[in-house]
Amino acid sequence: MVLAASAGVLPLALTACKGVQVLGTPPPPPADIRLLRAAIAAEEQMVARYAAALHTLKITVGTHPTYPQTVRVTGLTRVAREHTEHLDELKSRLIQNTPLPHGAAPAQLPTSTEDLFAALEHAEQAASDRLIGQLDGLPPSFAQLVASIAASEATHVPYLRNLKAGRP
Amino acid sequence: MSPAELRALQDALAAEQAASFGYGVLGAHLSGAEQRQARADWVAHQVARDQLTAMITAAGWKPIPSAVSYQLPVAVHSAATARALAIDIENRVTQEYIALVAVTSPSVREFAARQTRATALRAVAWSGNPQAFPGLRVD
Repeated sequence: MVLAASAGVLPLALTACKGVQVLGTPPPPPADIRLLRAAIAAEEQMVARYAAALHTLKITVGTHPTYPQTVRVTGLTRVAREHTEHLDELKSRLIQNTPLPHGAAPAQLPTSTEDLFAALEHAEQAASDRLIGQLDGLPPSFAQLVASIAASEATHVPYLRNLKAGRP
Repeated sequence: MSPAELRALQDALAAEQAASFGYGVLGAHLSGAEQRQARADWVAHQVARDQLTAMITAAGWKPIPSAVSYQLPVAVHSAATARALAIDIENRVTQEYIALVAVTSPSVREFAARQTRATALRAVAWSGNPQAFPGLRVD
């Protein structure tokens, strides 16, 4: 199912005698489209957060990484890829005729490995909880996608805990 | 409750009944922490089974009975095959809960979404590998 994002465009009417006439304030987009756009913005933030985390981790690792450090970089790359898949799938549900608003830049990430992973775990759990709380009233197939992404993001939490400990 | 909603609830119940049976088999091939994990997961499936039974009954329908025995998708004869069965069980139950998320009743949908998350977490605990879209096939 694809949701149309047309409500952000100012409605215009063409009439024979008055030419182009502005009809007034556009109605707000339906709740499912608002949620889809918010979910896309949140997932974009998550992708940016992981790109920043990988950058930080690679700087920390340097040119002679230890085994746990290599495991962490490989694991984070995998989770980052899953977020990109979430983002691509969410975007595919939107027929876009207005530019999507960019989400706010993710908060600055800590530089210590321990705190960096703790921040990512927190972001994943919060994203999962938020998505599960937004299912009411969504069309069935979109609700299924949101629930599946919420589950995926929750599974990243124990995965990140293992990575933090250097376990693949 | 529509016939489609009832069918989705009954399918989830059938999956939980099969999961409860499967964990009873696989737990015997594990030891230590893995056996404790299997026992906890077994209890979680039994609790979910009972919740689904109560939801169907409360809606005025008769829950499907559990089978006496189930043909397991993985022949269990070692710890490795026990783990493989646990992963298979969790993935199958996740699919049923994602199907149940399509039900529009808010309470049923939230229950299904929380169970989807719980089964996906159990799957990753056994496999070590998260999935991008638990329970869904995304092409």
